[in-house]
Amino acid sequence: MAEYGPFEMIAFTGSRVLEDNKIVFVGTGLPIIGAMHAQLTHAPSLNMIFEAGSLAAILEQGMPLSVGDTRAFRKAVFAKGLCSVFELTQRGYADYAFIGGAQVDMYGNIGSTIEGGDYLHPTVRFPGSGGAGAMAANCEQTIAIMALEKRRFVNKVDFITSIGFGDGSPDYRRKAGVMGSGPYRVITNQALFGYDENSRRMVLLEVLPGKTAKDIQELVSFELLISPDLKDMVEPSENDLKLLREKCDPDGYFLKRKVK
Amino acid sequence: MAAKSLIRNVTSLSSELIQKKEQAKFEYWGATPAEARRAAVAKKKGLHDKRTTLKEAVARYAKDGMNLGLGGFVNTRTPVAIVHEIIRHGARNLTLSMQSNSICCELLAAAMIINPDHVSIKRVELAWWGYEVIGIAPLLRHLVQNGIIELDDYTNYGMSARFKAGSMGIPFIPTRDHGGSDMELVNRGRMIECPFTGENIYLVPACHPDLGIVHVQAADMHGNARIFGALCTCPEIAQAAVHTIMTCDQIIPNASIRQHPNLTEIPYAVVDAVVEQPLGAYPGASYGYNWFDMPEFLAFRGMCDEFRKTGNKDKLKAWFDKYIFGCETFDDFLATRPYKTIKELRQRDGVQPIILE
Repeated sequence: MAEYGPFEMIAFTGSRVLEDNKIVFVGTGLPIIGAMHAQLTHAPSLNMIFEAGSLAAILEQGMPLSVGDTRAFRKAVFAKGLCSVFELTQRGYADYAFIGGAQVDMYGNIGSTIEGGDYLHPTVRFPGSGGAGAMAANCEQTIAIMALEKRRFVNKVDFITSIGFGDGSPDYRRKAGVMGSGPYRVITNQALFGYDENSRRMVLLEVLPGKTAKDIQELVSFELLISPDLKDMVEPSENDLKLLREKCDPDGYFLKRKVK
Repeated sequence: MAAKSLIRNVTSLSSELIQKKEQAKFEYWGATPAEARRAAVAKKKGLHDKRTTLKEAVARYAKDGMNLGLGGFVNTRTPVAIVHEIIRHGARNLTLSMQSNSICCELLAAAMIINPDHVSIKRVELAWWGYEVIGIAPLLRHLVQNGIIELDDYTNYGMSARFKAGSMGIPFIPTRDHGGSDMELVNRGRMIECPFTGENIYLVPACHPDLGIVHVQAADMHGNARIFGALCTCPEIAQAAVHTIMTCDQIIPNASIRQHPNLTEIPYAVVDAVVEQPLGAYPGASYGYNWFDMPEFLAFRGMCDEFRKTGNKDKLKAWFDKYIFGCETFDDFLATRPYKTIKELRQRDGVQPIILE
């Protein structure tokens, strides 16, 4: 098996999760790389929304370094502004939100506004919602990329920026006035998670080959549900890695980062 | 009818904070819808030559205490030339409104750190303040973690919809986001029960900046503007603002505008001043003209981060003394950047097709 880095595994898994003939609303970095890889392999008719306002761009100038990068508008079929693409999303035309975050809880609520302290006097202030809150509300399904650490998989998110299943009650999202069906997958380099249909709690679906459910539980603050059909994560092939390294992120902006 | 989601069952926010926010009397942070309407009605609506210099435009429209609406998005079509001039001129007690921005708000924040009697930010209504691939915004962290400025958090759609409501002349707009997140508890929006569906829906207030600032690719002398690539939220900001200053990479003839009126994204009536400023978004990108200058962003952010970590503002001050206060115009600043750099940035984005005729 080919040698791969943690971010390569995340991008590859992201690609694997995306189905063909869908529209994915991508955040900067690994979500773009995952979607590019999917287009080059199993999902040629997958199209991306970039939130500054483009649909179905052809990324022939390389990976956009920002969701507002001029490259993200190259040969798009539709180029407008934020209102247009978020309204398409609100209307129901974006299948996946593909976002990151700093904290997630067992119901898939995600924090990316503060960590520690309180809202008015945070220990750490992050940039804010950006598009994430609106994407998690109104794309049909939310896919999140997170680092697998206890301080990120928390019992309670310090500030819920992006809505998940809230407190887990069946009508949480309806009472919030949002349209999407909500959390779908959480991707880390050592595990892939989904959600239980009845309890809406996070479920461990796949582990890195060699890891056990117990290993993963040790890195998560809340109690995980374990899929009765727990699988090994598929590893990227030589060709997948070649595509990721040469076509998707040749400068290594995201794939060559070191894990802290 | 007022309504609530179930966010209180799951929030980590303190009940004191929630109560304080709930009881706060609502106020628009810029012009009210009625004030914005009166200002629009009072404007001369002829096709006048609105070309001027940034110095004149900023001296006329920048005021202490104003709500300044920032156009662009992160590092695209950032109205940097206008921000430089506002810093030279001075503006205190500002409210900033924006969806996502990087260097414009960091420049204003740095100016405040250097001399708060000359430029200062009181509060910001926003979705996001950072540099994406380049990193977090050091001065946002400094100002918020030390309790120096107040923030009001929305999503990118929320802020865009707020400008849109302003541009439509309506006092609020319903959105399908914020509800069920902690933004519902802290921002100035409200959950109601929809009178038609009976379901909950979140309302956000219109945003009318006192001064909107945008950089576009091309405009005629009257302010009819074409934008290529991302529109961001510039058309909405320009139309919502009480006054709008526009820079453009290039002035084009009115005859061109009339040839393809469908390409006009901002109509002249909502624009008060037009300034031809090539590279007016620099170091930000302008689709069809130039890519963003990564090393310039890295260098500026690096200085800000050094201040955050050490508290020493000497380097920042020296940079501002040389590149902003030491320059008469934005062209003087651009003249300090190597031609080779500018040429490369133009080549990297020059292939994007735009229509000027």
